[in-house]
Amino acid sequence: MDNLRQKAKELLESKTVNLVIGYENGTNGKARAVFITDPEKTGKLIYDERCKQNLAVYLNKHEVKHYGKIAIVAPLMVMRSILVLVSECQVKKENIVALGIGEDGSLLDFPSLEVVEKYVAKIPLGNPQSDQEILDKLNAMTMEQRRAFWQNELERCFKCYACRAACPMCYCLRCTVECNQPQWISAPAHPLGNLEWHMLRTMHLTGRCVSCGDCGRACPLNIPIHLLTMQQAEEAFHMFGVRAGTSMKAESALSTYKPDDKENFIL
Amino acid sequence: MSRIGVFVCHCGENISATVDVAKVAEEASKLPGVVHSVDYKYMCSDPGQTLVKEAIKEHNLTGVVVAACSPRMHEPTFRKACAQAGLNPYLSEMANVREHCSWVHEKSEQTTQKAFDVVRTMVSKASNNAALEPIKVPVTKRALVVGGGVAGIQAALDIANTGHKVILVERSPSIGGHMAQLSETFPTLDCSQCILTPRMVEVAQHPNITLYTHSEVESVDGFIGNFHVKIRKKARSLDEDLCTGCGLCTTKCPQKKIPSEFEQLLGTRPAIYTPFPQAVPNKPVIDRDNCTFYKTGKCKICEIVCPTKAIRFDQEDTILEVEIGAIVLATGFDVKHSDFFPEYGKGKYKDVIDGLQFERLASASGPTQGMIRRPSDGQIPKKIVFIACAGSRDPAKGIEYCSKICCMYTAKHAMLYKHKVHDGEAHVFYMDIRAGGKMYEEFVRRAIVEDHVNYTRGRVSTIYELDGKLIVKGADTLLGAQSVEIEADMVVLATAGVASEGSEDLAQKMHVSYDQHKFFAEAHPKLKPVETNTGGIFLAGACQTTRDIPDSVAMASGAAVKVAALFSSDLLTREPIVARVNRIPGPSHSTCVGCFLCQPVCPYQAIEREDIKDRAGNIIKSLARINEGLCQGCGTCVALCRSKSIDLLGYTDNQMHGEVLSVLEEAFV
Repeated sequence: MDNLRQKAKELLESKTVNLVIGYENGTNGKARAVFITDPEKTGKLIYDERCKQNLAVYLNKHEVKHYGKIAIVAPLMVMRSILVLVSECQVKKENIVALGIGEDGSLLDFPSLEVVEKYVAKIPLGNPQSDQEILDKLNAMTMEQRRAFWQNELERCFKCYACRAACPMCYCLRCTVECNQPQWISAPAHPLGNLEWHMLRTMHLTGRCVSCGDCGRACPLNIPIHLLTMQQAEEAFHMFGVRAGTSMKAESALSTYKPDDKENFIL
Repeated sequence: MSRIGVFVCHCGENISATVDVAKVAEEASKLPGVVHSVDYKYMCSDPGQTLVKEAIKEHNLTGVVVAACSPRMHEPTFRKACAQAGLNPYLSEMANVREHCSWVHEKSEQTTQKAFDVVRTMVSKASNNAALEPIKVPVTKRALVVGGGVAGIQAALDIANTGHKVILVERSPSIGGHMAQLSETFPTLDCSQCILTPRMVEVAQHPNITLYTHSEVESVDGFIGNFHVKIRKKARSLDEDLCTGCGLCTTKCPQKKIPSEFEQLLGTRPAIYTPFPQAVPNKPVIDRDNCTFYKTGKCKICEIVCPTKAIRFDQEDTILEVEIGAIVLATGFDVKHSDFFPEYGKGKYKDVIDGLQFERLASASGPTQGMIRRPSDGQIPKKIVFIACAGSRDPAKGIEYCSKICCMYTAKHAMLYKHKVHDGEAHVFYMDIRAGGKMYEEFVRRAIVEDHVNYTRGRVSTIYELDGKLIVKGADTLLGAQSVEIEADMVVLATAGVASEGSEDLAQKMHVSYDQHKFFAEAHPKLKPVETNTGGIFLAGACQTTRDIPDSVAMASGAAVKVAALFSSDLLTREPIVARVNRIPGPSHSTCVGCFLCQPVCPYQAIEREDIKDRAGNIIKSLARINEGLCQGCGTCVALCRSKSIDLLGYTDNQMHGEVLSVLEEAFV
């Protein structure tokens, strides 16, 4: 942790970056995001198992972009999110310094995002084990059982869109659900409209989800919606062999075509 | 509020026999926005169109729905009618109640209901239609012909003679194609090379034709009138400007025993070679796989003997980039070889050859100087069996189609053999004799009656070798499937014609569709035989299906006229059905967030980056922009865009949404 604070201080002092995004101690023993511009305040930075939020969600915010060069505390999910955002032209790679956090919590030295790419390539990627276990149980169900499970869960959704706000990849200026010329998805929270919204969110994140699970954590009703996008992340990998957030090139599974792509979904 | 006119066509009895057209018209008149609704026997007829035009003026229509056939048939007709009546043509819609309804259902109330549903859907779409203006794009008046066989040569010459520039690309070292390999041609028995070589020379000398042999198409981008083509000019290993074609190098090359592709492996050639004496261009090429210098680093005899010092061992492939307005594909065909037939020895019997090999044996310029000698020992065969339909019309071999040319060339082969070996016996096994063509049937008769070729109707089950003879076992189905056994000295298989090697790759490069046998697909089997589904790309010759010389030449001339027609005007009118990225006032400028994931999905490379700058020139936002010249209106980007920032003009989200809702509306009956 000292290394992290020291590095952040150096970066701010040398004006290499104008802002450091990281975690600090919040209320009730929780960790929360902190935005530091003053080198003297880098002592606030922490990193431990409570630091679960995907900080990359802030990178695309106008108020943050305005700082230009930014350093960000980056455990694996943040590294992958940064790579997705660079590949989708949302952040400039020269504007981001990743304060990489290794699996053991130690500070990693990333002189550039190319090094991040190389680091991510070496790590076996997938869903967190606890989530994958639930997914395996869901996948073992019959289609009727699974539908009943999701209808029961999604019925409670009241469309607060916290899931959307928590996701670094949900950065559109105008989300599809807000299109009303024509209104593809009905606005009120009712079972059909809820199903439509979550299906749409899942499809829009297919091939782009880095399995951070922040959407599920953000849900005030504890609906495990992160399982939807995590399932799709696995599907996309099995069908097209691509995982999101491994490259700065636009190689998203649903926007690229290779002649040997599977076509078994065509009936 | 829109004012829509509905015009329900009977199409004679095509629609009215199963659909109650009067009822559809009556119900349609009650739809919101519909101010006029009639039915008529032939809406596409002159009086029918007049009905539409007059209604537009009389009722001051803002949209027209014609319930008739597929838009592929008559959409242009009614768009023109609308335009003549002063209505923007893109405000008219076709409701397909023929192909999608009357033709596929029995007469019943539900059929009428469905016809009405289709009409209602299109009324809903039409009420959301917007006036569109056609897009004009410039045309590059230079054609590319791919393939230098007789079809490619003819197409290139015909286009060049209309005064337009042509680039002819051929992958082998010389133009000429399969026709240059043939000995004589049916049904006149004139020498193939004698009639072809003047055309080859004409190509070489024509001021409007640029010839690239030993070259291949590397990539094709763009669209009709504006293709951007990369041509890979493979290294010939010599300076073509210096080489005089004296041929000294080819005579001195120490490698002499390389099987010659032109001779169908029956003859040999050196490592530096011209495929045949009349080759155009008459410049040799070094076959690097077989050249002593490239293999061992020593030799360079050709370089030493070359009087003009033209040899360039270090030459590399060059990529030429050219702008092209129209493309003619004339890549021809290949034949299956004898190794395709396990029952006929799987290629291990040297004296079981294919038809193209026989052409070389019969050719005066061939490896035997026109004497029919069998490949194994050079003896003159006294008995030859010709087997037609070797592979063709054989679903078990995956070739269901008739190769069309084999009946005729088999008769020709038997005839040529009888003319050269007077005491020889020629037997032909056939399934049917297909001799449809001018003087074709007479030609086959001549072979049977005058040249005493024995025709046996039946197939050959097996061939095996016994005491230096080939035992051909077959059946004579005209004698009750009685088995026939012939001891032959040589067997010629009229093997199936198949798509040229690499045609699938080329089709994908060109975005041209192809059939299950990899032959290029025409746009319409009857009415658009030389067009492809990709605008500006045409077909000539055997790349579409195996065909003989007269057919290939005729098709090539047809393709050339299509190209000339395309080049006849300076501007090309294109449908305004293109995608467009929305624009809104600043600071957002567009709901597009510039993720550019739409860029790789566009099959036409039509999506560009647009930078919005402030007054100081700083980029404040990058967003996608559709190049309307390149966009083909496929809508893939529309489907991909998460923020729905792209819309397809003519098929906007609003239009499609209206259509879908209308489909889901409750039935009236």
